Amino acid sequence: MMKKDIYVLSAKQISMQQPLCEDWMTQPVEYQTPFNRSIDPSFKDYISPIEARRMGKILKRAIATSKEAIKASGLDSVDAIITGTGYGCIENTEFFLDALSKDGEQMLSPTYFMQSTHNTISSLVAIQTKNHGYNVTYAHKGISFDSALQDAVLQMRLGKINSALIGGHDELTETFYRILKKGGMMGQDDEMCGEAAVSVVLGTNNDDYLCKLVNFKMLHKPTLEKLKAVAKDFQADYILTGISGNHKSDKAYFAETKELFGDAKLLKYKHIFGESFTSSGIGVYVAAQCLKAGKIPAHLFVNPSEISDKKPSKILIFNHSDGNNYSLTLLEA
Amino acid sequence: MTNPILITGCGVVSAIGNNKAETLDALLNNRSGVGPLVHLKTEHKEFPVGEVKMSDDEMRKRLNISDNNITTRTALMGMIALDEALKEAKITPEMIPNIGFISGTTVGGMDMSEQYYLDYVNNENHKEYIAVHDCGSCSEMTAEHFGKFAFITTLSTACSSAANAIILGANMIRCGEADIVVVGGSECITKFHLNGFNSLMILDTQWCRPFDATRAGLNLGEGAAYLVLETEESAKRRGVKAQAILSGYGNACDAFHQTASSPDGEGAFRAMKEALELADIQPDKIDYINAHGTGTPNNDASESTAVKRLFGENVPPMSSTKQFTGHTTSASGSIEAVFCILALQNGFVPVNLNWSQPMEDGIVPVHQSVKKELKHVLCNAFGFGGNDSSLLISKPEL
Repeated sequence: MMKKDIYVLSAKQISMQQPLCEDWMTQPVEYQTPFNRSIDPSFKDYISPIEARRMGKILKRAIATSKEAIKASGLDSVDAIITGTGYGCIENTEFFLDALSKDGEQMLSPTYFMQSTHNTISSLVAIQTKNHGYNVTYAHKGISFDSALQDAVLQMRLGKINSALIGGHDELTETFYRILKKGGMMGQDDEMCGEAAVSVVLGTNNDDYLCKLVNFKMLHKPTLEKLKAVAKDFQADYILTGISGNHKSDKAYFAETKELFGDAKLLKYKHIFGESFTSSGIGVYVAAQCLKAGKIPAHLFVNPSEISDKKPSKILIFNHSDGNNYSLTLLEA
Repeated sequence: MTNPILITGCGVVSAIGNNKAETLDALLNNRSGVGPLVHLKTEHKEFPVGEVKMSDDEMRKRLNISDNNITTRTALMGMIALDEALKEAKITPEMIPNIGFISGTTVGGMDMSEQYYLDYVNNENHKEYIAVHDCGSCSEMTAEHFGKFAFITTLSTACSSAANAIILGANMIRCGEADIVVVGGSECITKFHLNGFNSLMILDTQWCRPFDATRAGLNLGEGAAYLVLETEESAKRRGVKAQAILSGYGNACDAFHQTASSPDGEGAFRAMKEALELADIQPDKIDYINAHGTGTPNNDASESTAVKRLFGENVPPMSSTKQFTGHTTSASGSIEAVFCILALQNGFVPVNLNWSQPMEDGIVPVHQSVKKELKHVLCNAFGFGGNDSSLLISKPEL
């Protein structure tokens, strides 16, 4: 299959860092608490107050990041809208489950249900941007955003699309944070959890871009041998890991990166953005912004001794989700 | 399309059968599986449903899974369908690490979460089910019963989830990412979406009547189906034959409303048109359309308009099979794709049961048994939010 040049044209985020900007590069917001919700921008520039009243937070954030990313991409519209969300519209799911469990089955309102399915996000973005193109949603824990990215890359290689809006959206309520922690799904050890809303526009041709997307691969429970074979095509000077404070996962990141990438410098981002099912999307955003800026903020280096002002040329986003699912995303300046 | 994508095996479970043979028999003999609720514990006994005729315990027994294992109904149904698909395609355990698995679901493990939600919130009981609530865990549970697939992901586009899983699998094969990808979807009925659909007032208290003037909503169903997609070269090398060819597919967004279809059926029209264009097949070559045809006033009107826009006066024989199975939601795309494969292989058009009065400006569905050779069929699956997909499945050239 012919490898087409694919570019990251734009990337926008709403998270526990300052929204829709790159203030985290110089002045990251610091947290001491294990669970933090996002810092929301004013949504009135993106959605009318009447519409906004009926929408959950995840939807408002998706619309804001999507509209900002499309605007920054320089494109009038995108050929595809592809969203990844690990747990979907948790807030409305929680409302509906709560009512179902406490009040029974006779008095349920349709509003929560209508906005509880995972694909509500992608379809709402399509309605808001009047887009009839390819539209799907992936819901697979920590590789939801990665799956969306893969779909776009495949279709660009096939020549089916030339641009795509890739979204990674997960919200987290206090209740679900406690439930997921209890179930061992997140918030283990020293891990800080949060929410993620990230929109990335990919395109096959443009003069102005953040970086190139050179290669991408997803694997399920690979043997070390298989990982090694794949990693040959993903060598970079910096590896952006998902080191998060989860002891078991962090240990695996150190061992695997040493084995696969030798002395490449390790970076992290979850210590300021938190853990979320779609935080790998934040990883792509962070790496793309660093490549565009031509520098890596000192606070992203895992080893303080490696901090340097050197302009990065290639950053690999290396994501292993719950030790089962791996994704490798190679970006180049 | 350049290289054909072969379907070298498939498996299905729904209200009309626990395998392909039972399913074919029911389709040929117009035997519906829709009836009163048996397995789901709900106050809403007034709604007929298309339940799979096995309890979770019966499925676990059939799959040799111990009662102590954490399972969800969606995953259990998925395993039964996947088992049949893998066996048909002669896929051995050693091959699994080189094969991709793509599944579609929306409710995932909600059948357990809705029983234990207050425990999750308030105490430590049943906390082992928390990790199987989400869609991705459900796909992994299904897949891991058979081995370690090379890669797994999950589509969740409501009622078109399985159809979109098929589309992703096809794109992966065309890109050379894999020789074999197993694709489809699974979904059990839950209180969560039965009540959700009820709150939207789209459930019929009677047997559903797609494309009928008196249609008043859908009956929920459940089930699973998986298809083995394979390159021609790989099938030849392995000595397996194509049951059918996936010759085209399309995905478009209606971009109209969160839970309603547009009056002009724009999303459906675009999805079907794209499927035809990809296959380079003219509309007059389509021998049958398996409609999404849910039986809601809105869907059937919108789908009729879309079909008429694309086919003009010459609408091919068309039917909905949701009177047989109920609306199997996320799994419907792959379950009905299997029905289309059975129709192609056995030369018949499934009957649009329970139809008597034509709807205004609607299509007139096939309402009597028709035996005829089919070459190309379209299979529609549309989801909430206007996630519309269409698959074009063809008979292999002999």
